[in-house]
Amino acid sequence: MFEQILFLLSATATIGFTVAVVGTNNLMHACMYLLGTLFGVAGLYATIGADFLAATQIVVYAGGVVILMLFAIMLTGGAEDKKNRFGIEKIPSMGSTKTYIVAGASVLIIAMIVLKMTANIHTANKDLAVASTGNESTVFNIGSLLLTDHILAFEISSILLLGALVGAAIIARPKRN
Amino acid sequence: MISLPSYLFISFLLFVAGMFVMIARKNIVAILLGIELILNSAALNFVAYTKFVNNNLDGHIMSLFIIVIAAAEAAVGLAIVIRFYQLRESVHIDDATQLQS
Amino acid sequence: MNSTIVSYLSQFEGYQKFVSMASSFLGSNASGYITFLVFFLGAFVIVNVMALIGGLGTYAERKISADLQMRQGPNRVGPYGILQFLADGVKMIMKEDIIPSASDKFMFTLAPLLALLGVLATFAVIPFSSGLMLSDLNVGVFYLIGVSSLVGVGVFLAGYSSNSKWSMLGGMRGASQIISYEVPVTLSILSIVLLAGGMSFGTLVNAQSGFPHEWFILHNPFTFIGFFVYFIGALAETNRAPFDLPEAESELVSGYHTEYTGMRFAFFALAEYMEVFVVCGVAAALFLGGYKVPFDLGDGAFFTHTLHLPEFIGKNIGQVLELGSFFTKTLVLYYIVIWIRWTLPRLRVDQLMTLCWKYLTPIALFNLVGCAFWMYYFEGKSLYVLLFKSAAHAAGAGH
Repeated sequence: MFEQILFLLSATATIGFTVAVVGTNNLMHACMYLLGTLFGVAGLYATIGADFLAATQIVVYAGGVVILMLFAIMLTGGAEDKKNRFGIEKIPSMGSTKTYIVAGASVLIIAMIVLKMTANIHTANKDLAVASTGNESTVFNIGSLLLTDHILAFEISSILLLGALVGAAIIARPKRN
Repeated sequence: MISLPSYLFISFLLFVAGMFVMIARKNIVAILLGIELILNSAALNFVAYTKFVNNNLDGHIMSLFIIVIAAAEAAVGLAIVIRFYQLRESVHIDDATQLQS
Repeated sequence: MNSTIVSYLSQFEGYQKFVSMASSFLGSNASGYITFLVFFLGAFVIVNVMALIGGLGTYAERKISADLQMRQGPNRVGPYGILQFLADGVKMIMKEDIIPSASDKFMFTLAPLLALLGVLATFAVIPFSSGLMLSDLNVGVFYLIGVSSLVGVGVFLAGYSSNSKWSMLGGMRGASQIISYEVPVTLSILSIVLLAGGMSFGTLVNAQSGFPHEWFILHNPFTFIGFFVYFIGALAETNRAPFDLPEAESELVSGYHTEYTGMRFAFFALAEYMEVFVVCGVAAALFLGGYKVPFDLGDGAFFTHTLHLPEFIGKNIGQVLELGSFFTKTLVLYYIVIWIRWTLPRLRVDQLMTLCWKYLTPIALFNLVGCAFWMYYFEGKSLYVLLFKSAAHAAGAGH
């Protein structure tokens, strides 16, 4: 029961904040809504037993990426944003509430069709999904998998991070004349 | 309620929202924000499939690497944005017309 | 089995009897509802007690600073002025709540809430005693690092949204300082995680014992250095002096909360004092043995078996001893934090960044590698065990 409540809360938060990210005109506010979305996704991870991943999501995004984005928005001249209207304001009755409703309905219909097409995947594995409802800790297994099966990807990602660190520091440094 | 289709639906909505942000915004930082949403939807998909179909930890590892790449991408991307602003005094994507300063 | 407040309570007969009574009354299994109720009450009590400790922190700060400067300090409200923080709180509530007209209203109201939320969320995993732990998450320390970085977002937002130059400078300094000092703090926590073999606070504390030579701070030379790296980094993460650049009174008027008045300002102050308590508690749990009591008095076996007390009373005496042990260590560290604030002068910004990236981070990395080598060569035995064993071996060889 608690997992279902947690799932409902996280799903509502994710969807609501995502809609807010899309809808707002203020970039700073969009960044704050993005923080809510990322927390919602972390909650969704927690409901399917990915506890380590949920904590990683919170550490990386809340502590790092969102603050970096806030810094970048502030250093590049504030929050006002220009929207690409594709020239739709020239066509009468485009960009109104009616068109948004039509677009939303078509998104829902396409989603339903996609889910229907992939339905045989989750009907075929129903017994497996029921058998795997227990949520044991994944920390130990992820640690041993990272250092045995996925050691090459792990090392490459560490080199990637080092490169990103040095590259970002070099790129953002002001040029001395 | 906690089943594969519900997770797929949420991840689909995240992807569509990220795509929309990437297309409709003209600020480079906003485009990076849309990329974050898309990467999150991919990671959520990996974890959901690995829970309900495979029942091993490969999807978790994949999502971990996606988070690592998202962090690296955000750092380098935002550094480029700041440098671009120093050169052009603008963060409009249509002003980025040259590869060298 | 995770050791939480519910699993501690459920080992007593009375709790089980109460659950079965409630189940028969409701006609269905009531253990889920009662678990929810217990967690709710536990969280309520802990949050309120911690807010009280945050309030008392302001009183302690003023009193200790007065002591260090040979003054009296607050002495009017209550005995020895101990109710001063309540008077301050009442004053804060009654002040006018001003939102600057040029500010960003949404983010201006959001910022103190984020700062407070980031601190309060950490109390879910703080190990007060073996029974009084709200949740023993498998990723406890990692979770704590993650949610406490919300304070940085709050500080930055406060600085940005106030639309004031002092606030802007303070917020920028605060955010860059907090994300910079997260690196050495996380690395020095990681070396302890390596030694204990787990990230939950239960594992980390249970790998230590009651006496100082069994604590992680005296486990090997690397953790001894790591404790000081952690402590300096934690001081900087909580914006305490000598790293209080975000709210430097002499340069920026009051830093990121210049424009805040009334209860919103009090939220920032409360968040700061509670975060100091949290980082001191984590230092006590990771390096100083946490809630462990000497001679294993904490599990209550001594009181029930030797003194023949009833099981309920014996176990709860053990819990009280554990709580006392944890709070003593934490409050001693709290005193040291305040002592440092009123002793050392403030650093410059470039000195701050130099200290973090050129000294603390390499030292923390060196500690991590050193701990890994220690685990490999000495199989994770502590320095005391090695010395004692070699001494005993030498004595045995002499005969």
